[in-house]
Amino acid sequence: MLSIKNLHALAGEKQVLHGLDLEVGAGEVHAIMGPNGSGKSTLAQVLAGREGYTVTGGSVTYKGKDLLSLSPEERAREGVFLAFQYPVEIPGVNNVYLLKAGLNAIRKHRGESEMDAFEFLTLVREKMKLMQMDESFLNRGVNEGFSGGEKKRNEILQMAVLEPSLALLDETDSGLDIDALRVVANGVNSLRSPDRAIVLVTHYQRLLDYIEPDHVHVLSGGKIIKSGDKSLALELEKRGYDWVKQEAAA
Amino acid sequence: MSAVDAKATAAPVERYQAAFDARWQGNDELTALRRAALDRFLSTGFPTQRDEAWKYTNLRRLETRSFTSADASALDAHQPDWLTTTGTRIALVNGHWLPALSSQTAQPPGVTVLTLKQWLQRDPAAVASYLKEHDQLTGNALEQLNLAFFEDGVVVNLADNTILDEPIYIVHQSTTAAAGRMSHPRIVVRAGRNSRATIVEHYLGANETEYFTNSVTRFEVAAGGAIAHFRVQQEAPRAFHIGHIQTRLAKDARYCVHDIQLGASLGRTGITGLLEGAGSHAALFGLFAPMGNQHLDAHTHLDHIAPHTTSEEDYRGIAGGRGRGVFNGKIIVRPDAQKIDSRQSSRNLLLSATAEIDTKPELEIYANDVKCSHGATTGQLDATALFYLRSRGLSESDARAALIRAFAESILSTIDLAPVRAALEKQIDERFKLANEAKA
Ligand SMILES: Nc1ncnc2c1ncn2[C@@H]1O[C@H](COP(=O)(O)OP(=O)(O)OP(=O)(O)O)[C@@H](O)[C@H]1O
Ligand SMILES: [Mg+2]
Repeated sequence: MLSIKNLHALAGEKQVLHGLDLEVGAGEVHAIMGPNGSGKSTLAQVLAGREGYTVTGGSVTYKGKDLLSLSPEERAREGVFLAFQYPVEIPGVNNVYLLKAGLNAIRKHRGESEMDAFEFLTLVREKMKLMQMDESFLNRGVNEGFSGGEKKRNEILQMAVLEPSLALLDETDSGLDIDALRVVANGVNSLRSPDRAIVLVTHYQRLLDYIEPDHVHVLSGGKIIKSGDKSLALELEKRGYDWVKQEAAA
Repeated sequence: MSAVDAKATAAPVERYQAAFDARWQGNDELTALRRAALDRFLSTGFPTQRDEAWKYTNLRRLETRSFTSADASALDAHQPDWLTTTGTRIALVNGHWLPALSSQTAQPPGVTVLTLKQWLQRDPAAVASYLKEHDQLTGNALEQLNLAFFEDGVVVNLADNTILDEPIYIVHQSTTAAAGRMSHPRIVVRAGRNSRATIVEHYLGANETEYFTNSVTRFEVAAGGAIAHFRVQQEAPRAFHIGHIQTRLAKDARYCVHDIQLGASLGRTGITGLLEGAGSHAALFGLFAPMGNQHLDAHTHLDHIAPHTTSEEDYRGIAGGRGRGVFNGKIIVRPDAQKIDSRQSSRNLLLSATAEIDTKPELEIYANDVKCSHGATTGQLDATALFYLRSRGLSESDARAALIRAFAESILSTIDLAPVRAALEKQIDERFKLANEAKA
């Protein structure tokens, strides 16, 4: 589904990714862990097509297409979804407007008809229930005045409504209370299917207790320096990153 | 000054004199008033940028045109989109009343709605004395021009304690027959004690037609009265539009205006609020959105004459293309006017590198026990928010339109007349979607 080869990228003026390789197959869940500042969010932003992040080398192929040549909205319509580490507050743009406009843009791209108001509301209500979100959130500005945890939940609500093929979750677990973590994990798990892939960026094993990854990677210094199965996350939790870095340097 | 300039400034004097002589003869009291007003206009001429109140708005383009008085005319083939369909509608087409397009519902007792001409027919002496009292000494050059040339308008009288639930909707439509013509509509609203009414003014024009609208709207609100005023300027793209609003507020009277400027090549509204009675309150909400080569100027002047008076102003400007916007907010607090609370905010959004908005708060405070705050910001669309919306599948133009609409929404959401609010939201969406597509 996603094939990243030797990716080099700048965040602003700074070279952050130094030859990153990653293969994600359909149906798989990957966890990316790594020290602060190692380039995890940069990778996520590059994949989502954020301006100000410049690819200086390598390639990214998604469903056989050159992902990097697509605009952010084309990527979204092709099924790429990024849950932001820091979701953006947009006062004056309704949450429900964003959900509807996003969903209809994606459906149109797929050659499907726009959803009517009733179908749409039924769908959104069902997903809000899954996320245990009050319906009053629908008519508030996007993330406006939401608490940290509410913002993260809202990201997953959007994901649940838009049903992407490739979901990139950047520290969606940070800032969540214990119950919310379970709710968010439920939301993510409900999306798991053989034709979808999920990439989780996280610092903690906790999330991986709920969403079991098939592969775990360590991103450090702008590269994947070690990959393993879920036991790698447990080991990192116990031992930190130094030993992996030393191993990679050797 | 070069010789060329001298000639050009002499020209409008002759042109307006000729236009006047062609339209108004006779020696009755009103014509004499008109003539005196024309003389005052001709002696000062159009305001220039040396005049502090016109610092950012150059009327040169208007000055070089020669407009003559517009005649009564039928409507062009297509009907305008009404802003609201309930209540009383009075249509002025090219400055003249068009009964066929107007619809008068039965007014509750205590409410009189007349055209200015009807009032003139009934009581010319009253009209003359009203105009004398209110216009002769006050009023800038362009208000004098209106007094000299006005054809018709609307007069609303509300008796004490009259509550009017339905709005009075005044449509100013310019048609293709208005090409090269000017109209000077005049609205007079006199609201008695504890009376309440909503006045909607809507200015529209036929595409491709160049014309000049120079309107005067006056409110006198007696003690405890309340007026809600919606003024939507959607003139044709080549039009010139200057609007003057003057409101006098007695004790505990309230005036709330929504000053929306979307149309015209060169447009300006000047709002003067005189807070003459203690406890009176003026609330000014404005939205101006110059695109292309438009120049739109929102000029406000609030005079806290009495103590315990309050005012709030919230203006937003959105400029794209080579559009120019101006917000000027003057607030005067008189020496004896203690316990004043006044708040002014001007926020502006620039959509292109060639757009410009000048904002100028002017506070003149002569009393010491006052609370006056003002703030102005100018910025661009938030790139992070744009990316966030696009990352959810919205096209760049939809994402921009959503953010622009959100910016305008803080003004539009204060409009409690649902059909007007809905019509304006639609206008704003279409306007900026179109602009974005043209840009792409
Ligand atoms: N726009 C930018 N301009 C300059 N430097 C940037 C920019 N964005 C990120 N960086 C830098 O790039 C490095 C990688 O940042 P990134 O956000 O990708 O790290 P991360 O792995 O997500 O860290 P964390 O775990 O703290 O979220 C950091 O040193 C950061 O300061
Ligand atoms: Mg990060």
